Amino acid sequence: MSNTDATARDRRAQEAATYERYWEEMPCYLSVHDRDFRIIDGNRRFREDFGESIGELCYKVYKGRDEVCPDCPVEATFADGLSHPSEQLLTTRAGAEVPVMVHTTPIRDEKGEVVAVMEMHTDIGEVKRLQALLQRSQERLGQLFEEVPCFITVQGPDRVIQHANRKFRETFGNPVGENCFKMYKHREEQCLVCPMQQTFDSGEAREHEEILFTKDGQKLNALCTTAPLRNADGEVEAVIEMCIDITQIRELQSQLASIGLLVGSISHGIKGLLTGLDGGIYMVNSGFAKAKPERVEKGWEMVQRNVERIRSMVLDILYYAKDRELTVEDVDLTAIVADFREGLEKKASDADTDLHIDIAADCGVFPGDAQAIRAMLLNLLENSLDACRMDSDQEHHAIRFAIRREAPWMVVEVEDDGIGMDRETREKLFSLFFSSKGIKGTGLGLFISNKIIDKHGGTIEVDSEPGRGTQFLVRLPLQAKPSIKPETEGA
Amino acid sequence: MSGDARRVLVVDDDPDIVDYLASFLEDEGFEVRTAGRCSKALEMMDEVRPHAVLIDALLPGKSGLDLLVTLRKNNEWADVPIVVITGNDRLLEDDCQSYLGAHQGVRGPDGVLGKPVDRETLLNVLGTLLTS
Repeated sequence: MSNTDATARDRRAQEAATYERYWEEMPCYLSVHDRDFRIIDGNRRFREDFGESIGELCYKVYKGRDEVCPDCPVEATFADGLSHPSEQLLTTRAGAEVPVMVHTTPIRDEKGEVVAVMEMHTDIGEVKRLQALLQRSQERLGQLFEEVPCFITVQGPDRVIQHANRKFRETFGNPVGENCFKMYKHREEQCLVCPMQQTFDSGEAREHEEILFTKDGQKLNALCTTAPLRNADGEVEAVIEMCIDITQIRELQSQLASIGLLVGSISHGIKGLLTGLDGGIYMVNSGFAKAKPERVEKGWEMVQRNVERIRSMVLDILYYAKDRELTVEDVDLTAIVADFREGLEKKASDADTDLHIDIAADCGVFPGDAQAIRAMLLNLLENSLDACRMDSDQEHHAIRFAIRREAPWMVVEVEDDGIGMDRETREKLFSLFFSSKGIKGTGLGLFISNKIIDKHGGTIEVDSEPGRGTQFLVRLPLQAKPSIKPETEGA
Repeated sequence: MSGDARRVLVVDDDPDIVDYLASFLEDEGFEVRTAGRCSKALEMMDEVRPHAVLIDALLPGKSGLDLLVTLRKNNEWADVPIVVITGNDRLLEDDCQSYLGAHQGVRGPDGVLGKPVDRETLLNVLGTLLTS
């Protein structure tokens, strides 16, 4: 044997030892199988978990089976000489289940015949665990998206809704393929200010308040936030929009604002009434002191008038505060008017105003709330008296008050030739807390009158010009409005 | 019109207030004329030639502040002292600022009195304005 041969042998032996070490230390299960599925070799990891099972059947060793696995990759590699990857679940000798990724590779002899197949099993337990975790968190996220108690949609650049959560679908309907502006606002075209578009353009979140309409046409106040959804390259791919229903908050706010306005309006009104009372008392006192009986009389009238105003203001406030339901009965307007006629005529003559009352004999009765109707009539008439008193352009005034039956309505007309109203006053006439009487009004009277008429299913029209006077035309239905029901016994 | 008495024009839409203020000021030696609305007050200016004008801030039609601006912009009446009476001091302050803000160079009211009017204060204000 030459030195060269010896050196080559040594080198091969060294290489073999190195590969042997690699084989042994590979951090996976390596095994070699013959055509009969017997394991003819295995590395250290294999032996550790599956014992010294050389010569045993692989399906027995790996899976505890008594026959060849239906999807055996070894068999496939023997058949076509190719590598076959597959996922398998092995059971170690200690009984632990190990999910693995299996790769087979053919081992050929000098003639190229496949004489054995090597299997490499990589433990994919961690991957499997992460996969399961990912799936769980995806499910959790999906559940969160579905169950969040606000409306959530995801829109693409075409403004078509791609996803919507359960609350959205329940409230606005199925949005698949629909535009957000259609679903949220029943619009046919994009909103003028589109926060979603702004988020697409700027890539920044936007917050805005919107009025939305549900599938049933109900109005909702909503606080909406849009945020960009970016792809891997950081480009805004879609926008997520989250809307929170704040209708109740807004309603509460407006009630609070109303209360604030009411308090301001009342204190404003009281100051005016105090001025009137203060003036009346001065007139009475100074009238006595200076022996001017006409001044005493005037002063006493002022006191009476202002006490009356306080009374009617308190009644208005109580009516507003209670917002009570109607108590429906047969209303006899002739009787109601007869009841307040005398007091009203006195007031009219004090204001140098003729009062013409014209009640048709056949006007009969109609269903309504007598107390509310009486308050409404007095309010209109007292407004007319005020309008006459405030008109200093003429000394003498007239009010015409007529009631007649014009099926299907009971018609009430109150017409004066007082100060009249400009357009702005006419338009704001029935608004809460609007008063044209300056310091003397609370802005409740006509608001409440209008509400009473509306509750009866009636209408009120106003015709007025500054300097010409005002005409109110009230129509009340002779048939009860379906929503108002007669009082039941005991109620 | 007599020459000696101090003439005051009271502009208020409430006849009660007008009667009351007129009675009081007459008792105090003023000569008083009254108007229920701005247009009437403007018509009366030439005839009455008042030494001071008392205006209710809230009047039907044009507001008391409109009347103030109209008088201030009229050379003949620009210097006549004007006292505004209001039931809402805060409102008047705000209104005055925003309203007069739109009328550059217009002098605001020379006095502002809240309702109910304190008679002594009214006399003091008028006294100061009419002697200065």
